[in-house]
Amino acid sequence: MIRLPALALLLLNAAVLGAAVDFDREIRPLLQERCVECHGPKKVKANLRLDAKARAFKGGESGPAIIAGQPEKSPLLQRLTTTDEDQKMPPKGAPLTAAQVAAVRSWIEAGAIWPENELERAASRDPRLDHWSVQPLRTEFGQAKSIDDFVAAKLKSAGLTLSPEADRRTLIRRLSFDLHGLPPEPERVERFVQDADPKAYEKLVDEMLASPRYGERWARHWLDIAHYADTHGFERDQLRPNAWRYRDYVIDSLNADKPYNLFIKEQIAGDILAPAAPPSVIATGFLAAGPWDFVGHVETRSDVLKRAARAGDLDDMVTQVMTSTMAITMNCARCHDHKLDPISQKEYYGLWAVFAGVKREDRTIDATEQNRYAADKNRLAKTLSDLNSQIAQLSGQGFELASLLPTESGIDYRTGKITKEKQGYHSGLPVNTLQKVDQVPGVLAIFVPDGKGTVMVAANTPVKGIPATNGHTWDAIANRPLNAQESTKLNGTDFKTKGHTILGMHANSGITFDLPKLRELSHQRTMRLTGLVGFGAGAAAANSRADFTVYVDAELKFQKLKMRKNETAALDIEIPDSAKTLTLVATDGGDGIGSDLLFIGDPKLQMSGAETKLTPADLKRLTALRAEAKLAEASLAKLTEPAKVYAAVPQATVAVIKINRRGNPEDTGAEAEPTAFAWAKHAPVAFGGNELPEGDRRLALAEWITHPENPLTRRVIVNRLWHHHFGQGIVATPSDFGLGGDRPSHPELLDWLAGEFQRNGWHLKPLHRLIVTSSTYRQSSRTTDTKATNLDSANRLLWRQNPRRLDAESLRDAVLATSGKLDLTQGGPGFKDFDYIEAYAPIYNYVSPDKPELWRRSIYRFIVRTTPHTFLTALDCPDPANLAPARMRTTTAIQALALSNNEFMLRQATHLAARVEKEGGNRSAAIRRAFALTFQREPLPTELQAAETLVAKDGLFALCRALLNANEFAYLD
Amino acid sequence: MDSPYSCNRRQRMVGRRDFLWELGGGLGGVALAAMLNEAQAATGPASRNGLHHAAKAKAVIQIFCPGGLSHVDTWDYKPELTKRQGKPFDTDGKVQFFASKPGNCQGSYWPFRQHGQSGRWMSDLFPQLAGKVDEMAFIHSMQSKSALHGPAMFMANSGFILPGFPSMGAWVTYGLGSESADLPAFVVLPDPRGLPPGGVINWGAGFLPAIHQGTTLNSDPLQPPLQDLFPAKEFSHLRGDAEKSSRDFLGALNRAHAETRGANSELEARIGAYELAARLQLSAPEATDLTGETEATKKLYRLDHADIGTFGRQCLLARRLVERGVRFVQIYCGAENTGAKKIRPNWDSHEDLVRDHGYWGPILDNGAAALLTDLKSRGLLDSTLVTCTSEFGRQPAAQGKGRDHNSGAFTAWMAGGGIKGGSAYGSTDDLGAKVAENPAYCYDLHATALHLLGVDHEKLTFYNNGAKRRLTDVHGHVIKPLLA
Repeated sequence: MIRLPALALLLLNAAVLGAAVDFDREIRPLLQERCVECHGPKKVKANLRLDAKARAFKGGESGPAIIAGQPEKSPLLQRLTTTDEDQKMPPKGAPLTAAQVAAVRSWIEAGAIWPENELERAASRDPRLDHWSVQPLRTEFGQAKSIDDFVAAKLKSAGLTLSPEADRRTLIRRLSFDLHGLPPEPERVERFVQDADPKAYEKLVDEMLASPRYGERWARHWLDIAHYADTHGFERDQLRPNAWRYRDYVIDSLNADKPYNLFIKEQIAGDILAPAAPPSVIATGFLAAGPWDFVGHVETRSDVLKRAARAGDLDDMVTQVMTSTMAITMNCARCHDHKLDPISQKEYYGLWAVFAGVKREDRTIDATEQNRYAADKNRLAKTLSDLNSQIAQLSGQGFELASLLPTESGIDYRTGKITKEKQGYHSGLPVNTLQKVDQVPGVLAIFVPDGKGTVMVAANTPVKGIPATNGHTWDAIANRPLNAQESTKLNGTDFKTKGHTILGMHANSGITFDLPKLRELSHQRTMRLTGLVGFGAGAAAANSRADFTVYVDAELKFQKLKMRKNETAALDIEIPDSAKTLTLVATDGGDGIGSDLLFIGDPKLQMSGAETKLTPADLKRLTALRAEAKLAEASLAKLTEPAKVYAAVPQATVAVIKINRRGNPEDTGAEAEPTAFAWAKHAPVAFGGNELPEGDRRLALAEWITHPENPLTRRVIVNRLWHHHFGQGIVATPSDFGLGGDRPSHPELLDWLAGEFQRNGWHLKPLHRLIVTSSTYRQSSRTTDTKATNLDSANRLLWRQNPRRLDAESLRDAVLATSGKLDLTQGGPGFKDFDYIEAYAPIYNYVSPDKPELWRRSIYRFIVRTTPHTFLTALDCPDPANLAPARMRTTTAIQALALSNNEFMLRQATHLAARVEKEGGNRSAAIRRAFALTFQREPLPTELQAAETLVAKDGLFALCRALLNANEFAYLD
Repeated sequence: MDSPYSCNRRQRMVGRRDFLWELGGGLGGVALAAMLNEAQAATGPASRNGLHHAAKAKAVIQIFCPGGLSHVDTWDYKPELTKRQGKPFDTDGKVQFFASKPGNCQGSYWPFRQHGQSGRWMSDLFPQLAGKVDEMAFIHSMQSKSALHGPAMFMANSGFILPGFPSMGAWVTYGLGSESADLPAFVVLPDPRGLPPGGVINWGAGFLPAIHQGTTLNSDPLQPPLQDLFPAKEFSHLRGDAEKSSRDFLGALNRAHAETRGANSELEARIGAYELAARLQLSAPEATDLTGETEATKKLYRLDHADIGTFGRQCLLARRLVERGVRFVQIYCGAENTGAKKIRPNWDSHEDLVRDHGYWGPILDNGAAALLTDLKSRGLLDSTLVTCTSEFGRQPAAQGKGRDHNSGAFTAWMAGGGIKGGSAYGSTDDLGAKVAENPAYCYDLHATALHLLGVDHEKLTFYNNGAKRRLTDVHGHVIKPLLA
C-alpha cells in the first residue's frame, strides 16, 4: 500500500467513517483550479468537461469519467494516480497532493455527490439545442391571420410597404410558369384580362391547380432533391429501364394532392405499409433514385472495393432521405461527430442501420401478379421437364456431355488440361485460338472467342456469327457449377441434384466436341443435342446479358442473343450423321462478362436412331409428346413478366452496421442500432435493437419523420413551396435547416404556414392556393424603390415579388409550347433523345432534337447521368449526382450560344415562324401573334416597327429566333 | 478567402457586383467588369498576384492519363521487382485485386536509366521526357481512395470519389477567374477517341455556379471548336449581315425591357453574355487555328503523325489557350473503356501492357515533352504549371501479360511555374505495391497547385448543403520540398 501522509490518512479515515467530503468546499475548487482550463468551456479536450455535473458524469471520448461509489474504476481517479506519464493528469504544473487525491477518492467512494448550481445547469446545456429549427412550432400568432399580415408587419417596422399588385398579364404568366412550368395560351390570357369577375384570379388558381400540368411541374422540384435519373452513373452507366414508374408516382401523387405525410411514408416504406398496393411499392423508387456504381457493387471481385461501394450507397440514401424531408445534413457525421449540428457519428450510423437491409434493384411491383406469373412459369417448366424426361425415356437416356470430364473438374483455358482448381478472371488470353484438349476423349478443343470476323472452331472449320465480345473470361469450362456461381436452378429444376448434370461455360468460352469419337463412345449414330442454357448468377445480374450459339461443323444451328438472367434457352438440335464437330459458344452479350455465369443443365446427345426401333404405338406417343413439349415451350415463351420498378429491395439478411472510424469501412468500431437523431425531440429515436426486422426499421423512421410534432418536416416543405413561388425561401437554404444554414426571415410566418398546412390535412394544393392568392405573391416585381433597395437589396422582407429566370426545363417546354409542337402525352417510359450503344461503358450519343417523339415535356426525358444534355446543362440543369434543392442561375456566354445556335432552338424558331404565319395571315398580324405567344402581350408601336423591318428583310424566322432569345421570354416579372 | 457567396446571398444574385462575379468567373471578373465599364479595380490584382499570397503560376495545364498509368514501368524505378521476376508476389494467397488474384512479380517491361543533372530515373518508354527530368518534380507516393476507374477519376479531379463535386479547374476559376476577355477560363480537351471514364462530370462545376465548369473544346480541326459556336449547316445563312440585324433587334428589345426593370442587373448581365458570345465566335476559331504556327512547331508536336499528332495537337492548343489568358486547361491522353478494340483506348492495360503502354507511351512522351519545350522557349513555363497524373497506378504483380489496378501507389509529376525541377517526394516499397514514405493523395497535389497559383486551399471554400466545401475536403498539405 502507498504510504500516506497523516492528513490523508485522516481524510481517508473520515471517509471510511462516513464523514462525507464536502464537494463545494474541497472538490469543486480543485476541479476548477486544475482541470477546467482544458476540460471546460474554453477547451474541451477529449470531449470531457468537468465544470458542470451533467457533462462530467456523461464523460468524454473514453466514456464516463466518474463512477459513483467506485473510485478505482473511475477514470478521473485513475488519471490522477497512474504512473504512466503520458496518461497522468494534470499534465502541467505540480501533481495533485496526496491529500487532494485522497479527497477525490473518498468523494467518489461516498457516492460522488455533486450538488448542481445554476451556473452549471446553464453551462451543461449545449446552446445548439436551442437552435430555432428544432424548437416546437409556434401555435400563437397574436393578431396575424394571413401571409400578408406577417409580411406587412415586418415591412412596416422597416418603414416599407408591399408593392402594388402586378397587372393581370404579368400575374397569369407568373402563375402559369409557377404552377405549370409553361406559358399561358394567348387566348387564356385575354380571357383572364377581360374577366369582370372579382374572383377571376382565384378561379384561375383553382383551374391551374386542377390541371395535370401542375403535377408535371412540381414533380421536377421533388425529383431534383431525390437526384433522380434513368441510368446508374459512374463508369458503367447502364440503363434503368424501369425507373420511370417512380417519376410517374411523384407526378400522380402531386396531381391527386396526396397528403404529404403519406407521400413521405410511402417513399421510405411503402412496400411495408401497403405491399399489395402498386403505387405504394413504386414509391420506394425514391430510395433508389440516386447514382449506383455497378463496378463497385457487382463487377469487382475485391471485397474491400465492394464494401467501399456499399458505404457510399448507404451514405447517399441516408443523406437524401434526411435532407429532403428534414433539411438536416447528416453526412458530415460520417467521419466524426457533426461539427456544426449536434448529430453524433453514432446517430449517423444508426440511420445506416435503418437502411442496411435494402438495396437498389429492379423489383416486382405487384406480388400477386408476380406470384401468378411465377406459378404459371413453374407449372409450365415442370410440365416441359416431365415431357422431356418422358421423351428421353422413350428415345433413350442420352449421352451426358458434362460427364466426359472427370467429376468436379474443368478444362483450363490456358493449357487445355484438366484442372481441379476453381479459377478467376482471365483477361489477356489469346483470343480465337484453339487450345487443343488431349485429356478429354470426345473434346477436340476449347477457345476464348472475341467474335471478330471468322473464328476457327476446329481444323478447317471457320465459322461466322459469333457476337463481338471483350475477349475476357472467367474460371474454366467445367463439369460443375462455376466459381462464384450463385444458383444452379433453371425453370424450377435444380441441376445440382442427383440425376442431373451441369456444364459450366462462363462467357466468353467455346468448346468443340469430336462427333465421330462421341458416336463411338455413346454407341449412338443419329443424334440430337438437348439441354437447357441459363444463368447461374444472383439477382444483381438482372440486367446482364449473354449470348449462346451452337454450330454443327461450320453451320450455325442455334443462337440466342442478349439473353437476360431470367431467361433460358432450351436446346434441341438435330445432328446429321455425317457431321464431324459440335461447337458450343457462350459470349458476353456486348456488356462485359461481369455476371455471365452461363451453364447448361443436362447437356446430352439423345439417340435419335433409337426411335427407329420403337413400336408404332410408342413412336406415335413420342410424336405426341414432342408436340406437347413444343406447345408447353411456346406457352412458356409467351408468358410476360409483370411490370417492375427500380426501387428499394429488402434483402434476406440485414447486415449489422458498425461505426466506420473516420468514415473508413475497413476500420469499424461499435455496432450501430437503427435510430434517428436526438436533436429533434418530438419522439423517441431508438427504434429497437438489431433484431428489429428490416421493414420495421424504415417504417419507424418514416413515422418519426412524419410525426405531427416533428419540428422540421412541415417547416421544410412549406419553405420549399415558398422558395419555388418567390425564388427564395423564408429560409434561404431549403435543404439546410441546421446551424450552417440560413435563419428564417419570417419565423412566425413559417410556423403559421406549417400550422395551416397541418389543419389542411398535409395537402399541398391548399398551401399553394394560400400562397399564390396572397397580396405578397401578387405584388409587382418592377418596383424601383431606392429606400427599399438600400435597406433590403436582397428583398428578404418581400417589398416586391422577385423577378426570376426560367429554369432549363421550363425554358425548353416553353419553347415547344410557343412553337405549338409540345406533345402533352402523360406518363410512361421517358423519351430518349440519344442513340444508345451498348458497350462496357455504354455510349449515349445525342441525336437531332427535331423529331416529334422528342417534343414531350422535359419531365419525361430519359436522364443519363454520365452524359448530361449539353443544351440543358448550359441552362443550369443540375447534375443528377447532386441533391439540388435550388437551381443555380448563372449567366454565361455558353448559354447565349446555346440559345442562339443550338439546333433545337433554330428548328423550333422555324416552327414558330410557320405557326404565326399561318395563324396571323398578314405580316403585321403574324408579328403580333409571335409577341402574344412568347411575351403574352401586344408589341409596342416601336417594337412593331422594328419587327416589320426585320421581317421584311430576313423573314419571320429571324423575328421568332430573336423573341425566343429575349430576356422577356426567359424571365418572369 | 471566404466564399463570395455568403450564406444568405448564394441562391440569387442581387447586386451588380455579384453578377460580375458570376459572369467573369470568380474574383477575377475583371474582363467582364471592363466590358461593362465597371471599374472594379479591387478585384483586379487578385487574379494576377494570387488570392492569398503572391502567385508563382498564373495558369495550369493538366495532362490526365485515364485508365491507370503503370508507375513501375515508367516513372518509379523498382530494381527489386525486376530481381524477383517470376517469383510469387502474394505468398499466402490472400490478396485480391480489382479483377484478379495476383500473379508473379513482373519487373518493368522497359529498362530504367538515370537522366539529367538530377539523376532521376525514367524508363525507356519515355525517351523525350527523360531529357526533361531536370524540369520535373515527381510525387512517387500518390494513392487513391478507390481502385475503380469511375470513383478514382472523380477523386483525382474533385477530391471526392462520388460524382457531383466541383473539379479542380472549376475551383481554380472560381477563385481566380479568367484573364481572357474572350475565352472561357477553364477549357478541356478530351481525347479525340472519346470521353474518359465518368464522362463530362470529370470537369463539372458540381455545386459551384455553372460558369466554372470546364468548356469542352473539340480538337478535331474539321469541327467547330465549341458546341453551338455557330448555327448548324442548314442555317448557314445566319452569318454576316442577317446575323447582325437579328442581334441588333434583340439588343434593342432587351435594352427596352431592362429600362423598365431598373433594379435587375441580371438583365444587363445577360445582354453582356450575348455580346461575349459574339466575340467568342471570333476568338475561339482564332485560338484554335494552327495555320499560323511555324513548321518547326508543327514538327515539334508531330502534327502529321496519325496517333502522336492528335495528342500533339491537344498540347499545342493548350499552349495557345494559355497564351491567350485561359486559366486552366485539362488535356486527356486516353478515353473510356469502350467495347473490345485491339488496343485499349486508354492506359488500362489488363491483358497486354507492352501492347497498350507501348502504344500510349510515345504519344504522351512526345506531346508532353514538346509542350515543356515549347512553353520554355516562349518564356511561358515559369508562369504555367504543368501537371501529369493518372487516377491510380498498376500492380507490380502480373495479370497475364498485363497488370491490375493499384490504388495503393502511383506517380504524378509537375513542372513549370514555381516547381523545383529534378526534385522528388515520397516513395513506394521495394516492389512499388504500396507507398512507403510520405504518403500523398490528390489533396496534396491540389493543395500544392493552388499554392503556386497564390491560393490557400483551406481558404477557398463554398457553402453547399450544410458544409463549407473545399477542393481538398478536410485534407491536403502543400508539398514544400517540390517548390522552387
